[in-house]
Amino acid sequence: MLSLVLWRLALIPLTVLGVVTILFLIFKAVPGDEATMVAGATATQAEIDVVRHQLGLDRPLFVQYADRVLGLARGDLGYSATFRGNPLPRILERVPATLLLTASAILLTVAAGIPAGILAASWRGRWPDIAVSGGVVALLAVPNFWLGMMLMALFSVRLGWLPSIGLTGPASLVMPTVALAARLIALVGRLVRGTVIEEQRKDYVRTAYAKGLATPRVLYRHVLRNALVPIVTVVGLQTGYLLGGSVVVERLFAWPGIGDLLLTAVGLRDFTLVQGITILFVVGFLLINLLVEILYRLINPRLR
Amino acid sequence: MDLTMKRRTALSLLAAAPATSALRAFAQGTVGAGLTYGMSTGVVTLDPVHGSYTGYPGGSEAALCVYDGLLTFAPDMKIVPQLAESWSMADDLKSCTLKLRGGARFHDGTPVDPAAVKLNIERLMDKQRNPTNRPLWDPVAGVETPDGNTIILRLSQPFPQLANSLAHVSGALVSPAAIEKYGDTGIAKNPVGAGPYRVVSFDPGQQLVLEAFDGYWGGKAKTTKLTLKTIADPSTRIAALRTSAADIVDSVPVALTAQLKQDPEVTLIATPGLRPIGFVINLTRPDLSDLRVRQALNLAVPVETIANKVFFGHARAPDSPLAFNTEGYASVAKLVHDPAKAKALLVSAGFTSDKPLELAMFVSQGLFPGDVSVGEIVANALTQVGVKVEITKIEAGSYWDAMRQDQANIKWDIAMFGFNPANASGLYHLASLFKSNKDDTARPDVWNLGRYRNAEVDRLLAEIGAEPDRAKAAADMAKAQALIWNEDPYIWLQINENVSAVRKAVTGVEVWPVLFTNVRHAAA
Repeated sequence: MLSLVLWRLALIPLTVLGVVTILFLIFKAVPGDEATMVAGATATQAEIDVVRHQLGLDRPLFVQYADRVLGLARGDLGYSATFRGNPLPRILERVPATLLLTASAILLTVAAGIPAGILAASWRGRWPDIAVSGGVVALLAVPNFWLGMMLMALFSVRLGWLPSIGLTGPASLVMPTVALAARLIALVGRLVRGTVIEEQRKDYVRTAYAKGLATPRVLYRHVLRNALVPIVTVVGLQTGYLLGGSVVVERLFAWPGIGDLLLTAVGLRDFTLVQGITILFVVGFLLINLLVEILYRLINPRLR
Repeated sequence: MDLTMKRRTALSLLAAAPATSALRAFAQGTVGAGLTYGMSTGVVTLDPVHGSYTGYPGGSEAALCVYDGLLTFAPDMKIVPQLAESWSMADDLKSCTLKLRGGARFHDGTPVDPAAVKLNIERLMDKQRNPTNRPLWDPVAGVETPDGNTIILRLSQPFPQLANSLAHVSGALVSPAAIEKYGDTGIAKNPVGAGPYRVVSFDPGQQLVLEAFDGYWGGKAKTTKLTLKTIADPSTRIAALRTSAADIVDSVPVALTAQLKQDPEVTLIATPGLRPIGFVINLTRPDLSDLRVRQALNLAVPVETIANKVFFGHARAPDSPLAFNTEGYASVAKLVHDPAKAKALLVSAGFTSDKPLELAMFVSQGLFPGDVSVGEIVANALTQVGVKVEITKIEAGSYWDAMRQDQANIKWDIAMFGFNPANASGLYHLASLFKSNKDDTARPDVWNLGRYRNAEVDRLLAEIGAEPDRAKAAADMAKAQALIWNEDPYIWLQINENVSAVRKAVTGVEVWPVLFTNVRHAAA
């Protein structure tokens, strides 16, 4: 177990190097010139050239690349024109807000998705099942930004119950969490329903009932434990999706996280900043995958 | 069962009633704690040099609260004194004498004296420190400080728009002591000016918290605490305004103005901008060098429909190459929509249905207001008079690059473009767009993208720059505008309004034609 963790951690720098290389190539290939953007819309060619020189964009490509990689090793992401320097501190100060949002979305997913799935499976074909399945379809069909806008229109503008923007307290967490988690709740609900129904047909369940165990005990002690493996996989993989979804949701709710910063960086064409945030997303994704793998081994004895 | 359900519902409703009012109070907790401006673009850096304020127009709007300059603009773009009490240009337009207002201080207590002004102007003059806004500062050659409240600016050439440069947001004065303390680049994060508000806390890109500066020379601001908060999403900005999370918002999408007008708690503030939008015509193409063809293109476009249907009346068709509020603007002629005449002109120029005029159109995506919709309407209108149009839509980030090519690489016949003269000077605007390029085959010197060339216009623009008689200069400006307008180097389209919105109780918010929502006088 320990060797697995160490091995995976050792692979992270290699992956990051690959990502940096790909990003570097992409940003050099796409149309649009960083110096032009920094100099501003009304800048003359001479002004743009001065800026290009100041940003070091007039050096040979491999020098720029080597500069990037070596800087990264020292924790220097490069010169961000937006922040006039290394943007790493500015990125890191945004991380807690994104982590808070992602964590609460996962919590909500587990707290709402699993019970809903069990409910639907135990009342299969009856109205709770129909309600849950209908809800699943609805949540999967609704894009998160639209759901967010509707929530805001209802709970902030019309009813005035929840704050519309920013991270101002526990109440401000509600709408972004729901908007971000909605799709994942639906996915998990559907998965739990299917898995539980599947497991209920298996021999060990019949044995459990034959032993005279009550339904809740069978369900929670035996069925759910076996159903947990695919659920952890899905939640784990989808956490990466949550990081992506946070970009949209954070922008919508003016949430001070890295997703919102990423959109700002793209708008300002600050390649250094975009690259830094992307690396952070990649590292986050790799760490989550590692965590899922560890969890996996804990709940599934066959993998130990 | 039925009964218990009912009882439960009733109970939960009872329990919920105080809870919801508590929630409501919590949600609106920001009310009474000063004013909040929800801005579309974030404030990231606040140094007038080193690339000026990042994030346009947000950075400039924050600068208007924190900094004062020697001169400034009134909401109608008239130039008025600020830290300078008076200013006068020499008759040869090659120097300017300014008298400082006595007793003004920066937020750190440093007096605003000629030495402070000299240091600031010299920072602006330095090309390495200040690579942007060069046309504004290049003509300044030196600063002299003969006594305790006089500053003489020496100019390398006659430069009547010096006042526009000094009033421009980049002409803000920074405390010399703060530059000493935080370093030449550190001021961007630790701005210390002589404006009505001083900085309490600054989270670049997120929010800037300001409080009224007790020692402001013009008297303490009416609002004690002013928060500038980034809310990038337009519908979120509107929601924030309607829930009082923001008291002022900028950049209201015109499609949402009708809905906002219904809200009795909200007031809209709309001001026509300084940026006329149009399609610049590639005059290096022989077909398009024929004036009849360019006239036909202009006659074909339903400009009134665009203003009213795409922009819901928050736009107007121009009647001069300059926008209505630009300094030196003179009306030339109203645009006419006459497709029949357009067809006839095209036929007389030799284009028929067998041999139609073919045009490659470049349109940006998300750079100009409603750019794609407007592009499609124009393409459709041109098609109706028999022109074949091929639209290429280009992502905003790479649009400038696609436009500013040398002649061999111009891939467009008509391309959407609009120029915003940030110093409100009409001469600067005309010279940037219509002064002949040194070499039409190279990249354009400034923004003469279509390679317009008219010796008479060049002569007039040069003369206006050196003309001491302002009446004569104004007459020449009008002449230049008429010459350009009648040659149709653009398909002229619209001048958009900048629309902001405030809570009913908020007063003093100005929306400047240069796109700035100025909140320095905001009060509630």
